[in-house]
Amino acid sequence: MKKKTTTLLLSIMLVLSLLLAACGSSENGGSASPGGSGSEAGANDSEAVELTMAFINLGTMSDVAAVQEEINKITKSKINATVKLMPIDIAAWNQQVNLLLAGNEPLDLLVTSSFFNYSSQVAKGQLLPLDELLEKYAPEIKNTMPSEIYNGTKIGGSIYGVSSIRDVGADYGMVMRKDLIDKHSIDLSGVKTFEDLGTVFQTIKDKEPGIAPLVQSTQTGTVAYQMYTPQIDPLGDSLGVILLDSNDLKVVNLLETDIFKNKVTLARKWYEAGYIMQDVATTQEQGSSLVKAGKALGYFNNMKPGFEAQESKTTGYEMTSVHLSEPVIQSNGASGFMMSVPRNSENPERAMQLLNLLYTDAEVMNLLANGIEGKHYVKNEDGTIKLPDGVKETTYQFNQWEVGNNFLTYVWEGTDKDIWKQTKKFNESAKVSPALGFSFDATPVKTEVAAATNVVNQYKVGLESGSLDPALIEEYNEKLKAAGLDKIIAEKQKQLDEWAAANGK
Amino acid sequence: MKTNHMNQYAVHAILILLTAACVFPFLLLITSSLTQEQAIVRDGYSLLPKAWSIEAYEYLWNKSTSLVKAYGITVTITIVGTTVGLLISALLAYPLSRGDMPLRGTLSFIVFFTLLFNGGLVPTYLVFTEVFDMKNTLLALIIPGLLTNGFFILLIRSFFSTSIPVPIIESAYIDGATEFKIFYQIVIPLSLPILATIGLMLTIGYWNDWFNGLIYVTEPELYSIQNLLNRMLSNIQFLQQTNIGGNNSTAAAGLPMNSVRMAMAVAGILPILCVYPFFQKYFVKGLTIGAVKG
Amino acid sequence: METPQIAQAVRAGERKESGRLNFILRKLKRYRALFLMIIPGMIYLIINNYLPMFGVVIAFKDINYAKGILGSDWIGFKNFEYLFETKDAWIITRNTILYNGAFIVINTVLAIAVAILLNEVKKKLASRFYQSAILLPYLISMVVVGYLGLSLLNVESGFINKQLLPLLGMDPIAWYTEAKYWPYILAIVNIWKNVGYLCIIYLASIIGIDHEYYEAATIDGANKWHQIRSITVPLIMPTITIMTLLAIGRIFYSDFGLFYQVPLNSGPLQPTTDVIDTYVYRGLMTLGDIGMSSAAGLYQSLVGFVLVLAANYAVSRKNRDQALF
Repeated sequence: MKKKTTTLLLSIMLVLSLLLAACGSSENGGSASPGGSGSEAGANDSEAVELTMAFINLGTMSDVAAVQEEINKITKSKINATVKLMPIDIAAWNQQVNLLLAGNEPLDLLVTSSFFNYSSQVAKGQLLPLDELLEKYAPEIKNTMPSEIYNGTKIGGSIYGVSSIRDVGADYGMVMRKDLIDKHSIDLSGVKTFEDLGTVFQTIKDKEPGIAPLVQSTQTGTVAYQMYTPQIDPLGDSLGVILLDSNDLKVVNLLETDIFKNKVTLARKWYEAGYIMQDVATTQEQGSSLVKAGKALGYFNNMKPGFEAQESKTTGYEMTSVHLSEPVIQSNGASGFMMSVPRNSENPERAMQLLNLLYTDAEVMNLLANGIEGKHYVKNEDGTIKLPDGVKETTYQFNQWEVGNNFLTYVWEGTDKDIWKQTKKFNESAKVSPALGFSFDATPVKTEVAAATNVVNQYKVGLESGSLDPALIEEYNEKLKAAGLDKIIAEKQKQLDEWAAANGK
Repeated sequence: MKTNHMNQYAVHAILILLTAACVFPFLLLITSSLTQEQAIVRDGYSLLPKAWSIEAYEYLWNKSTSLVKAYGITVTITIVGTTVGLLISALLAYPLSRGDMPLRGTLSFIVFFTLLFNGGLVPTYLVFTEVFDMKNTLLALIIPGLLTNGFFILLIRSFFSTSIPVPIIESAYIDGATEFKIFYQIVIPLSLPILATIGLMLTIGYWNDWFNGLIYVTEPELYSIQNLLNRMLSNIQFLQQTNIGGNNSTAAAGLPMNSVRMAMAVAGILPILCVYPFFQKYFVKGLTIGAVKG
Repeated sequence: METPQIAQAVRAGERKESGRLNFILRKLKRYRALFLMIIPGMIYLIINNYLPMFGVVIAFKDINYAKGILGSDWIGFKNFEYLFETKDAWIITRNTILYNGAFIVINTVLAIAVAILLNEVKKKLASRFYQSAILLPYLISMVVVGYLGLSLLNVESGFINKQLLPLLGMDPIAWYTEAKYWPYILAIVNIWKNVGYLCIIYLASIIGIDHEYYEAATIDGANKWHQIRSITVPLIMPTITIMTLLAIGRIFYSDFGLFYQVPLNSGPLQPTTDVIDTYVYRGLMTLGDIGMSSAAGLYQSLVGFVLVLAANYAVSRKNRDQALF
């Protein structure tokens, strides 16, 4: 019996390995041929191709096919290619992209981001270097954005992604219900620092029982986080940061900085004073829903021009704000959202031509961002756009910040007409992190990062929202060190130094 | 049936308590789907909300085209998957249940082994998409769940070998019946309880499956009802727990609220709750037939 | 594709030498219908389960897609390190085993008890109603269970804090930050969700028991408890054994939905809710490293495999028929 089993298992292995060899060779064949044929096809545009473009989806996209058809009319005549739009839900994004890139499915343009493993995708050879392609097929893109943003996506000296043109910087502060501020005649002009907000909170707490003066916009966008972030560059995962004021490239442990300790202590003080909603660390409601439900005055957030208008729409109350930091652009300013060409692409040249359209062709970009005129929006006289009459909810909602040149698109009613001009000015005025363009590749220390991430998950939200005693910072720090934080910081410093040397910083 | 029974009052009392415990959260789910959004955040979840509203269902109704389509997909994969899965499982389980089957132990082991080892997500994905080209097809929603890793096969096998008297099979064989005829005319009718059980499990499995849709399907046309629900629920959760720049709230604005989530959950379970009593009728019948054996 | 057995037998048949082979051939002919029956299932298992098993190599590789999966560099056990080297490794392993061990025992006992109770109900309609009700929780997905949990446990608006505790004169409890309650909460949710399903399986085998046994026992004067102990339980033992063996094989895997969705991934609960699956998931969300997730999967499989072999060996020494293989 034993012997039989062994023979059997061996024969199964044999069958399997034969099958494997078959798949293996077909894979090799598959990846070898497109390279050859691709370059030929790219050289002349005579042959029509279909390009697949994957991007992050959050809203309703039921009309994506109709929009795609309209876009194709233009791309067909301009670059002799059609586009297949592939929206992927944000919650499935990591997994789907991992699988798409592991296989050989057609995929020509892909949204990439330092929030979604950009550097390890490059390290694993999943993305193509774009410098030559950009030079040859999309030379105009370079002129649409500042050069530090254009070059800010480089890894090892090559560009692997093209940043979308958006608000690359952010300033930090608080948005709150204007009606409550007016009702209690609170003077916001005196509020210059986060610390100054204490008196505002006290007033609301005393006069508006049932309304929490402060909540969090999201669970991880904690109270303390919003206060210390304008002073640091998290270099990706906050495991080892640089201090923006020191203006050098020394990676330090965030937990051991005074900034962190002060802000966490302040959050704790507010929490104990009852300014912060008591279940803030575990609520499943976003700050905007809590405001909408009449349970909160407001929340801290990273802001940009037009932010108050945006939040007013979301919460259903008119919102006002205090800006408590200067605008900053951190290391991920460029790599926050980009378009890349994956290794899967059979037509990188044509993909690049399409990308060029997204930065230069207002018609294509407007279709992609806002949908079809008359169906998904109508134009006002002043040039802004709105939903067509009788349409309550759009059937095409694209999150345009992730892709292309947003400055080419129409502005929605309710937002300032010159919002793009303001955004441009905002970006230009921002303080730029000396590490702008640096992307940390966590692969060499992945064991440590995996362990440290679990520790962060355990303490971060509780401590930074004021729900836990700041005395725990020490314990938090010890556990992070046990998980290998020092090794992560050392690796980060090493990569940062190499990057600085390569980029002449 | 002259067997003595336990005190019926005690039995019923315990079972009613259990039933209440099982059903209560569902009642809460249904009432909260009918509660005004602001009332949930303000007053909390309650069986008797202060402000009723069918807003959530209106919201769903406005999306009904995709909802109806998703129901269609779910029903199709559930029916096809359950039927084919049950057939293949029974066919595979029967020979393994036969004490005289050559290589029985080895074959059982091959089935069992799949319960413990799997190649992991990426290799499985590669096999189905690269070798069999199933991405974005209905097949991708059906095939991966067919045998659910051999678990059901072992259950059926065990039922066959303990509940089907060997002499019946032997005498049928001696009378000249082919193996297929024995299987189809003797074994199947005697095994309705287990087949009904497995059938129900397969149905639930297919009905609730969202994972295969998440992995193999990117076309909204092919979303099953669970995919639709899951993607809405998990998008909310993802946004809540991740910080991807200042654009969260813009994105969140388009996402449904508490009561809608609850209404979606109701939409997801309602059909199976409606179908289940009918299923159970056969299920119980199957059990009874199984019990009367000679 | 044919099953290897047939291929083997056919290859053997071609040689046509000894009487033993003739015997095999005769046997093959006698059982050819049975072999035919298993072909669809076996093909399926090969495609769905065995073919992807080449994926275990990923656990030992530093995947680089430019080189291809098979062409990537071997890195030995580097992908496994994070499962063993950190301090958390012990906690998550302990949690996983304790939870799953407890679940196996509690669920089995409760499911059998409820199945016996159900079998005692005389009225068909009532029995059917109960069965439907207790199977209800099994019908819904864990994501929905997470939301049900939230509607009960939410600090500010949950049913328990808002409606139940005030009735009892108790203060609200911050459920999602107090780790000490969670072993019980998780056990209750697990029971609530899964006992109905197990119970139906046991009920199916209890109903299959011949009534004559009970009648004879009643005539002999055995009381109900005696009957349960000496008839019901022994006769459904094969089912109990199989279900338990299968559960043991998966003792290193945990219901991800239960441990991740239901506690809402709340950090302060981690000391009591973190299990291997959630730890791996959290760690890898940021890294997206398939090498490490493969390593974790292989580790879980291997441990489960060894445990099942051991348990199966123990069972087969007592009763050959009840063993899995």
